[in-house]
Amino acid sequence: MTGEAHTHPRSHPPVLESTPVVVNDRVAEGIGLLVLDAPLVATHVQPGQFVHLRVAEGTDFILRRPFSVHRVVGGRIEILYQVLGRGTRQMSELEQGDVIDVVGPLGNGWTLPDDASHALLVAGGLGAAPLGMWAERLAERGVAVSVAQGAPYSERLVARELFERVARRVEIATDDGSAGERGFVTGPAERLIRSGEVEVVFACGPERMQQAVANLAAAAGIPCQVSLERLMACGIGACLSCVVSTTEGLKRACVDGPVFDASTIKWESSEVPPKH
Amino acid sequence: MNAADQRPSPDMRVRLGTLELRNPVMTASGTFGSGREFSDFVDLERLGAVVTKGVSMEPWPGNDSPRIAETASGMLNSIGLQNPGVERFVERDLAWLRTLDVPVVVNVSGHSTGEYARVIERIEQAGGADAYEVNISCPNVDAGGMVFGTACGPASEVTRSCRAATQRPLIVKLSPNVTDVVEIAKAVASEGADAVALINTLLGMAIDAESRRPKLARVVGGLSGPAIKPIALRMVWQVAAALDIPVVGMGGITTAEDAVEFMLAGASGVAIGTANFVDPTTTLRVIDGLTTWCRERDVARVADLIGALET
Ligand SMILES: Cc1cc2nc3c(=O)[nH]c(=O)nc-3n(C[C@H](O)[C@H](O)[C@H](O)COP(=O)(O)OP(=O)(O)OC[C@H]3O[C@@H](n4cnc5c(N)ncnc54)[C@H](O)[C@@H]3O)c2cc1C
Ligand SMILES: Cc1cc2nc3c(=O)[nH]c(=O)nc-3n(C[C@H](O)[C@H](O)[C@H](O)COP(=O)(O)O)c2cc1C
Ligand code: FES
Repeated sequence: MTGEAHTHPRSHPPVLESTPVVVNDRVAEGIGLLVLDAPLVATHVQPGQFVHLRVAEGTDFILRRPFSVHRVVGGRIEILYQVLGRGTRQMSELEQGDVIDVVGPLGNGWTLPDDASHALLVAGGLGAAPLGMWAERLAERGVAVSVAQGAPYSERLVARELFERVARRVEIATDDGSAGERGFVTGPAERLIRSGEVEVVFACGPERMQQAVANLAAAAGIPCQVSLERLMACGIGACLSCVVSTTEGLKRACVDGPVFDASTIKWESSEVPPKH
Repeated sequence: MNAADQRPSPDMRVRLGTLELRNPVMTASGTFGSGREFSDFVDLERLGAVVTKGVSMEPWPGNDSPRIAETASGMLNSIGLQNPGVERFVERDLAWLRTLDVPVVVNVSGHSTGEYARVIERIEQAGGADAYEVNISCPNVDAGGMVFGTACGPASEVTRSCRAATQRPLIVKLSPNVTDVVEIAKAVASEGADAVALINTLLGMAIDAESRRPKLARVVGGLSGPAIKPIALRMVWQVAAALDIPVVGMGGITTAEDAVEFMLAGASGVAIGTANFVDPTTTLRVIDGLTTWCRERDVARVADLIGALET
C-alpha cells in the first residue's frame, strides 16, 4: 500500500451534540434506521468514522454505544442498527422528537490510495453501514465502485439501493439464496478481486469475513482496509477497552481505527462474540 | 440570574496533605487516560487534579479482549494496567501535562515492591509529579497490583519503599477486596502515606448464559460505576473515622450530590471514573454542581463538608 493511504485527512475534533430524533424506522426484521438532526457532526464526519450514542437519557447507567455514520443528508446523520441487546433495544424505542446526545465524529475513516480508480466494497450484514457514505463519496470523486454484499436473506441487504445507485456493479450473496447467489459474500468478493479490475478493497462485516477478504486482497497484491469492531467504553482513546493487535503493537480501535490497513492486523486477536 | 447566584462564591479549595487543590474533583486513574484524551471536552485546568493511568517501569501489554462488560448500574473491566512504560510516559504524557496549570497525580504500578519505587525515582529525575498515587489494589494483574493491597505486610512494604523515593505527597490507593479495609489503611498511614484513596474496583464476573462463556477473556474483572457507590461510601466513612490523614473517595460518582455524600462521609477529595465514559464532561458538571450546591446552602467552604455527616 502506498504511504499515502496511511495518512488520514486531519479529522475534526469530536463534539458533544444534543440531537433530536427525526426518524426511527424499522427497515427489516431486527434492523432500524435512526436519523438524527446533528448539524455539527454532519458537517465534519468523514466516511468510516463513527459516533458514540447515549441511547437513553435518564439516571439509569448505560455506557454509550458506537455506531458508524451510514450517510449524511444535510444536517442529519443516518445510522443503521441491528437490535441485539439492551442498548439497541432502547434505540429501537426512540421516537421522533426524543433528544439523545452524540459524541462524534470519532476514529479514522476510509482513505483512498492516491492512484486508485476502481474500488471494491465488501459488505457483510451490517458491515454495509460504514460503507454507504463511502460509496457515495467515491462515486462523486469519479472512482469506479464495485460492491460485493452479503446478508442472511434478501430483506437484510441493507443499503442495497444505495449501492445499486452509485456502483458500477453490485454482486449479492445470501445464506438462503433469497437474493443473488447462495453462500457467503466472500464468493463474489473473490471473483471481483481476481478479475484484476479493482485496485483497492474496503471491507466491513464479521471479523472472520474481513480476514478472509484481507487474505484474498493480499494474495492479489491489492491494498485492503478493514473496519474492526471492539467493545468500547470511552470511545476517545482513554480506557484501552478496544485494543486491536497489529504489527505495530496494540492499537485502539476507537482512535487509531476503526479503519485499519488490513496488512497490519494480527488476526488471531479475539473478536467481540459474533452476533446473530 | 437567580437569587442563588448572587450569594458569595464558596471557597472550593481542599488540601491533601501539602497538596492544595482548587476544588475537590479529581479524575480516577485509568478512566481519563493522561487527560489529553479528554481535552476536547474538558478544560483540564478547571480540575482539582488530573490522576493519570497507571504506569509501570516496563511496558505492560494488558489482558486479552474482550476487556469490558456492562453490568447492572456498572461495568467490569480487565484492562490489566496496559501502559507504555515510564520512559514513554515521561516523554509524552508527563511533558504535555506539565505545560498545563493543573496538579498532576501520577498513578504508579509495579510487579514488585522495588518496581513501584523505581517508577517514582524515574519520574522524580524527570522533574517529578505533584503527587503520586500508589496502586496496590488493581484486581486485573496476576503479579503485583492487588497482591500488595490485601495484606498489611506487603502494603506497608510498598508504602515504605515509595516513601523513601519521594518527599512529595504520597497517596496510597486501597482495595475494597479485603476483610478489613481500616487495618490496611492504618498500616499504610503508619508507613508515612500522606493520604489514602479508595475504592479501587471490586472483583467480579459476568457470564453469557447462551454461549456459556465468561464475558471477559480474563474471566474475572473489576466492578465500577454506580453499583459500587454504597460500598465505597461505607469504606470511606470507616477509613476516614479511623485515620488522621486525608481520604480521596471514589466509586460510582456521577453527580455533584454523589460528591457531597462522599465528602460528608469523610473524603477531602473525590475522583470520577466510569461516569466519564457516559458523559465526558462529568468532571465539570460535578465541579459546577458542587459549587452551586454549596452556594445554595450557604456552605462557605466546601471543606466544611468533610466528615460533616450527622449520625
Ligand atoms: C466502530 C463501531 C461501529 C459500529 N457500527 C455499527 C453500525 O453501524 N450498526 C450496528 O448495528 N452496529 C454497529 N456496531 C456494533 C454496535 O455498537 C453493537 O452492536 C451495539 O453496541 C450492541 O449494543 P446492545 O446494547 O444492543 O448489545 P449488548 O447487550 O451490549 O450486547 C448484545 C450482544 O451484542 C454483542 N455486541 C456488543 N457490542 C458489540 C460490538 N461492538 N460489535 C459486535 N458485537 C457486539 C455482544 O457481545 C452481545 O452478544 C459498531 C461497533 C463499533 C465498535
Ligand atoms: C477501565 C478502567 C481502568 C482503570 N484503571 C486503573 C488504573 O490503572 N489504576 C488504578 O489505580 N485504578 C484504575 N481503575 C479504578 C478507578 O480508578 C476507580 O478506582 C474505580 O473505577 C471506582 O471508581 P468509579 O466507580 O467512579 O469508576 C480503573 C477503572 C476502570 C473502569
Ligand atoms: S474505547 Fe476507550 S480507548 Fe477505545
